Amino acid sequence: MLAGLQNPRQLAAQVLNFGLILSTAFMMWKGLSVISDSPSPIVVVLSGSMEPAFQRGDLLFLWNRNLLSETDVGEVVVYNVKDKDIPIVHRVVRKFGIGDHAKLLTKGDNNAADDTELYARGQDYLERKDIIGSVFAYIPFVGYVTIMLSEHPWLKTVMLGIMGLLVVLQRE
Amino acid sequence: MYNSLTRIQNVFGFFTTVAFVVAAFIAASDFTYDRTPSAHVKTTNVQVVKGRPHYYSTKKEEYAIMKFSLDADLSSLFTWNTKQVFVYVTAEWTNPPFGEITNSAVIWDTIITTPSSDHLANIGPATMKKLRKSAAGKPVDPKRGLLSLKNQRPKYQITHPTGRIAETSDVRLRVHYNVQPWVGFLTWSQTEHDFGRWMRMKDGLSRAFTLPAVKRKDEGKKAKA
Repeated sequence: MLAGLQNPRQLAAQVLNFGLILSTAFMMWKGLSVISDSPSPIVVVLSGSMEPAFQRGDLLFLWNRNLLSETDVGEVVVYNVKDKDIPIVHRVVRKFGIGDHAKLLTKGDNNAADDTELYARGQDYLERKDIIGSVFAYIPFVGYVTIMLSEHPWLKTVMLGIMGLLVVLQRE
Repeated sequence: MYNSLTRIQNVFGFFTTVAFVVAAFIAASDFTYDRTPSAHVKTTNVQVVKGRPHYYSTKKEEYAIMKFSLDADLSSLFTWNTKQVFVYVTAEWTNPPFGEITNSAVIWDTIITTPSSDHLANIGPATMKKLRKSAAGKPVDPKRGLLSLKNQRPKYQITHPTGRIAETSDVRLRVHYNVQPWVGFLTWSQTEHDFGRWMRMKDGLSRAFTLPAVKRKDEGKKAKA
């Protein structure tokens, strides 16, 4: 027990090991970000506005490059509204014009009305630059742990504590 | 080094690996099923009326109301990995300087759930009971992919950002679908190319039509007659 505290060399190795794990995860995330050209290549669904396709906690993979065709009507996109932090996952239902300044309107499949009310004041349509990616793949439920963590912050402390303890107690 | 902690770690690690491999196989199985979608769509009654975007708005805009008939066979899209199929009909038209489709708007859509995702659908209890009864005991019900709509009212009345849409020419309706899997890739209807065993949408495009002039109030009765 607590062998690391008695042996500074081992302690250093463990701290480095922990750092390596963290930086590997970080680089994988950033690598995906570069490949998909999206600031957030994997998102967790936070609302039920796209039910029954996506439930809360489902994991979505995003692609933000227009290699073959432009972002088009029918695609499910994740967008950010000016001055609001929460990304929204909805479907494009109208597109007027082509190119970067095409006017896009979105709507949640489960919502009665389109998203005009969600946009910034005076904004009637989205543009391509508001979109941070189109959904291309889906894994159910896996992201629910992040919702748990953000809704019950004490879980974060508990998890960090357990992780820290494991690192210190681990001998290899 | 075999204490209970490493054992729990190993079990959890093995569990996630197995789960992801199985999920990957399920996702890949999509590509082994044939898809032979077809649809036939035509407009039955097209009107353009003046209206306001919402109750408190003072802006007057023109809205196109396109009634249509649709016969579609999307039954081949329903497999064990299909969670829902989202079917949507768009109206598309070009602006004269451009050759390609520059405007496209959904006028009607529907969500077709598969029997195992019925409980997720956002419908009333009576409709839900009927829906579940229609496929009792069946995990997959391809019959739900058969659509037949006669003179269907559009769900969405569309306009253009300029507020003018009357007398637009070369408008076409197109039928699309989006298959939502239980796990794996989201897929959309292919308009031009076949992809492996997945055929492109057969037909699915209406004849070009021209939107009429704005219907005036005094004309209303005459048009109905």
